[in-house]
Amino acid sequence: MRAQCVRRTLLSLVLGLLFLSTAAKGKCSGKYHELLQQLRRQADLMQDTSMLLDPYIQMQGLDTAGLKEHCKERPEAFPSEGALRGLSRRGFLRTLDTTLDLVLHRLTDLQQDLPEAQHHAKLNIRGLRSNIHCMSQLLLGSSEAETAEPTQPAPVATPRPTPPSGAFQHKLKGCRFLSGYHRFMHSVGQVLREWEDSPSRSRSRSRRHSSHPALQRGARRTRPFRRDRRRVPRGQLPR
Amino acid sequence: MALSTIFLTVFLLALLSLRTYQSEVLSETLPLTPESLNVSINSAHQRLHLQWTIHNLAYHQELKMVFQIQISRFKTSNVIWKESYSTTVKQNQGLHWSWESKLPLECATHFVRVRGKVDDARIPEPKFWSNWSRWEEADAQNSLGPDLLFLFPEDKLVEEGSDVTFCYVSRNHQHNISCYLEAAQIHIDQLDPRVSTFKLKNVSFIRRTGTNIFCEDPGVAMKGTVLFVSKILEEPKDFFCETQDFKNLNCAWDPGSDTTLPKQPSQSYTLFESFSGKKMLCEHRNFCNWQVAQDSQEMYNFTLVAENYLRKRRVSILFNVTHRVHPMSPYNLFFENISATNATVTWKVHAIGNYSTFLCQLELLGEGKVIQQQNVSVKVSGEYLLDDLEPDTRYTARVRCAYANHFWKWSEPISQKFSTSEAAPSEAPDVWRNVRLVSGRPTVTLFWKPLSKSQANGKILFYKVIVENPDKPSKFEGLSIPAPANSTELPLNGSSYQIHVTAHNSVGPSPASVITVSGDPGNREVEEERVNITEDGFSVSWKPQAGAPAGYVVEWCDRPQDLPCDPQWKNLGPNATSTVIDSGAFRPGVRYNFRIYGISTERMAHLLERKTGYIEELAPSDNPRVVTSHLTSHSFTLTWKDYSTESQPGFIQGYYLYLKSKVGEQCLPGFEKTGLTDDSVYCKHRIDNPEQKTFVMENLQPESVYEFLITPYTSAGEGPLGAFTKVTTSSEYSHALVLILLPMIFFILLFTIVCYLKSQWLKEKCYPDIPDPCKSSVLSLIKSKENPHLTIMNVNDCVPDAIEVINKPEGSKIQFVGASKSLTEAEFTKPTYLYLLPTVKNSPGPGPCICFENFTYNQAASGSGSCDPFPITPQVPPGQRGPLTSRGNLLKALEKNYMNSLGEIPSGEASLNYVSQLVSPMSGDKDNLPTNPPEPILCSEYKMQMALPLGLASPPPSENSRLSSTALLDQGEHYR
Repeated sequence: MRAQCVRRTLLSLVLGLLFLSTAAKGKCSGKYHELLQQLRRQADLMQDTSMLLDPYIQMQGLDTAGLKEHCKERPEAFPSEGALRGLSRRGFLRTLDTTLDLVLHRLTDLQQDLPEAQHHAKLNIRGLRSNIHCMSQLLLGSSEAETAEPTQPAPVATPRPTPPSGAFQHKLKGCRFLSGYHRFMHSVGQVLREWEDSPSRSRSRSRRHSSHPALQRGARRTRPFRRDRRRVPRGQLPR
Repeated sequence: MALSTIFLTVFLLALLSLRTYQSEVLSETLPLTPESLNVSINSAHQRLHLQWTIHNLAYHQELKMVFQIQISRFKTSNVIWKESYSTTVKQNQGLHWSWESKLPLECATHFVRVRGKVDDARIPEPKFWSNWSRWEEADAQNSLGPDLLFLFPEDKLVEEGSDVTFCYVSRNHQHNISCYLEAAQIHIDQLDPRVSTFKLKNVSFIRRTGTNIFCEDPGVAMKGTVLFVSKILEEPKDFFCETQDFKNLNCAWDPGSDTTLPKQPSQSYTLFESFSGKKMLCEHRNFCNWQVAQDSQEMYNFTLVAENYLRKRRVSILFNVTHRVHPMSPYNLFFENISATNATVTWKVHAIGNYSTFLCQLELLGEGKVIQQQNVSVKVSGEYLLDDLEPDTRYTARVRCAYANHFWKWSEPISQKFSTSEAAPSEAPDVWRNVRLVSGRPTVTLFWKPLSKSQANGKILFYKVIVENPDKPSKFEGLSIPAPANSTELPLNGSSYQIHVTAHNSVGPSPASVITVSGDPGNREVEEERVNITEDGFSVSWKPQAGAPAGYVVEWCDRPQDLPCDPQWKNLGPNATSTVIDSGAFRPGVRYNFRIYGISTERMAHLLERKTGYIEELAPSDNPRVVTSHLTSHSFTLTWKDYSTESQPGFIQGYYLYLKSKVGEQCLPGFEKTGLTDDSVYCKHRIDNPEQKTFVMENLQPESVYEFLITPYTSAGEGPLGAFTKVTTSSEYSHALVLILLPMIFFILLFTIVCYLKSQWLKEKCYPDIPDPCKSSVLSLIKSKENPHLTIMNVNDCVPDAIEVINKPEGSKIQFVGASKSLTEAEFTKPTYLYLLPTVKNSPGPGPCICFENFTYNQAASGSGSCDPFPITPQVPPGQRGPLTSRGNLLKALEKNYMNSLGEIPSGEASLNYVSQLVSPMSGDKDNLPTNPPEPILCSEYKMQMALPLGLASPPPSENSRLSSTALLDQGEHYR
């Protein structure tokens, strides 16, 4: 268990640094599927409770009967999977980015509670946000008109700052927050997996055009990507 | 009442004004009642803070008073605390007092009241208590939120071992609340319908993030709190301050265990100097740097205060800073004028002021050990001459200094390594020799031991060997042998030589070692004795040599005898008569030989004595190979001549002869019964002479098996009990039988030889050659009388009297009628013969016919093939000839008779052979070929057979003896 945790930590560290490096260089991969796969992998990695939640529970002494069940995520702390599915692709990415920004701030609050793990988690989040940025750029290039249109408001209730409370409540809140965070990343991974499963656009894209700007047609309308799951005309990137 | 009060006041005032002019007027209304009582709650510290005033005091009046305070819980009548508080009261000055509640204040309403009494010596007795103030209520529950359940205290920080009281407040009237410490349920005491409490005693540290305690009203509410338990703050230990330069004081201490908890204030250390009044918060847990004052302050009184949320600890030291000088480490440590035995070392110190003196300690280390230690007084630079050093040796010099005026501590040392230069070797090499004959020529091998480091004084480069013939002193022979060789071989002639050996390093040679060697190996016969063993090794002793020997040498080889080795030797003085030889190379069970030589004044060695022994004897590891001989019916001889007693792991003291004994059997004379580890019983005989390697076993029983084993023994035990050897004694009569049988065999052989030599004669006598029928007189008679053309008998002349039916079944079973025996028991590979004997009236010829098989004919017939068609002469009447000459007729006739006579011979498996008593014309006379070749008939096969007509005379003995086993039983049945 411990070795597995160490492996995961190392892996996440490497991935985080890798993506951070990419972001630092200011270069984004123009390959949609490659980027999507990276996003999905990062989401899969971050949904793993052994990264944050499990060590937190153990460190705070919440791994006892009677307390563990109070570690469940409070409703609406993070966007639900359904809410995420209801968003357009760019809306999804924006929501994800905003949520991760808030998560970063909360993790800073947990610095004393999880000095090591939260540091690695922050690196991962920064790497993921870098890829979100690249994916947004990619989608933006394929659908410039969308930037002018209002995005579908997502039923997202982002984590709000909490009033000062006792240490016990602080422990439980941290636990619930981490539980919600992992669940949220699981949902993100599921949504991204559906993106991968949806009909391949890169094939037609690469056939018709050498890069994503060719995918402008058909992307002018903003709609939830659930509806995009219908057969997309070849050469179009999903929005 | 008012009147009395006024009276009393007036009285007192009058009294005071009379007693002292300094006294001021007291309150006009005594006793003084506390007023304006205010109670506040500090939830974090669970304290009630009380504040009140005394209004009745006159201006600038001070009065000692004592106050009585009562605290009630839940209701005023339930007083839980009483305390008296004495203080000096001033006019309009608020008075403060606080109280810590064990029970969290949020869980209960508290009521407080106060009363006072003058407690001043200036006020004469009697003194009266004032009235109680009115009850003041302290209720923290009002500030609670709208939740249904509350648990207190929140996030309390306590030390290990404390007792902590918790309480909860429930706003649910029908609650079923359980409380837990981590996962363990806690017993609860109910204080009132809404408030319950529980107490944790002697709490211990569980984790840095605190101990979780929570209460739960299932389905309604859950509240928890964290109890932070810290370790007890320790008093700093080993607190001291020192300076290196009179500019900074470095204070350090051992803080003990860290009591800091996350999210809790950490422990802090503060340094306070009382003379200067300065205070400093230390940045580190275990040290602090204090700036020395510029006003030449020498005395310092430091107080170190350790503090955390719960406790303070303090420790103080007072010192003169000049007594706390810890100098910096010296520097610039160098060596000058390094020779083989001397070196000068210099160093510098960091000066403190202009008049400071340092005491420096110089240590010289060699091989990690301190060899020399010197103290040197130094102002700025130090210097010291190191002497008595060893040449070519690596040393380390180490210097440390202390403040000489007041020793406090040594500085950190500085060290440096150096090596002395080489010198010529100081000692001559220890030389020994071994003289032996090589190809008949005396050859000496010189050995020398390498010089020790202290003797070599440098690296030995080579050894020089000079051979001098005393008879020809002018002739030298020099030999240089590079190191690290430790031997050389020199051929000699018969005369004596003086050999000088010196060791050379880069500086020069060592003194020479001289040894005189003669061409005589000197292996004179000296009786070998056993050497004594002590705990320290072999104790070798010898008789002192007559005359004045220059010394003695004990020589040995520290490897087993059968392995080549260079000799080891030990030089001893002229007065020595014994020595102990110890070597780590000596092994148990190995025989070591020692030779003691006397060294003459001419440095010539003479063998004096020989010793041998074991550092530890062992039991023999193997048994001798025993040969049995002279085996008789009552004795045999055992011999183990090739068993070497010299190469055994101990001195062989004799042998044990074991003889297996049968149950109840008595041992042979000279044997005694003994039991072995395997519970078997043996007869044992002991042979005390180790050189006796033969033994005769006597008084044995003839034709008996004896099993024996011979094993040697040493002082450590006997050899292994291995396999026994079996010997069977011979029969008593075997000798006589041999005497009879041998002549008989001889005579039989002699007879056989004679018979062989006379075989021709015997043949002629016993079995002469068979006569040739062609040359018989009968033929000549026929030839001459009837048919001059025929040389042999014509077929017509002989009526077949028998037909041989040859049956060659392959695996089939043939059953003859009337036969009582199955043919399967016979050999199927041989044909079955059936003889058909004609009746007398069908016989064409008057005379009997002889049927025969003769190899002579066979040989003749073989020339044309044994299966050639048989010729039929035309003179033979058809009536007589047909059935026998024609194949069909013959077969028919045969078949008829055969089928009648045979039983179960299957058709197709039997063949017919016509057997004629006549020989084929071709075989007899090739010139008389028949004009009409007969039809081919069945292949004839000549076999030795015979028909015996009635009244026919018996055939010749030779023929009879060649008869096959075929016999004629009757006309119908012929079988073997």
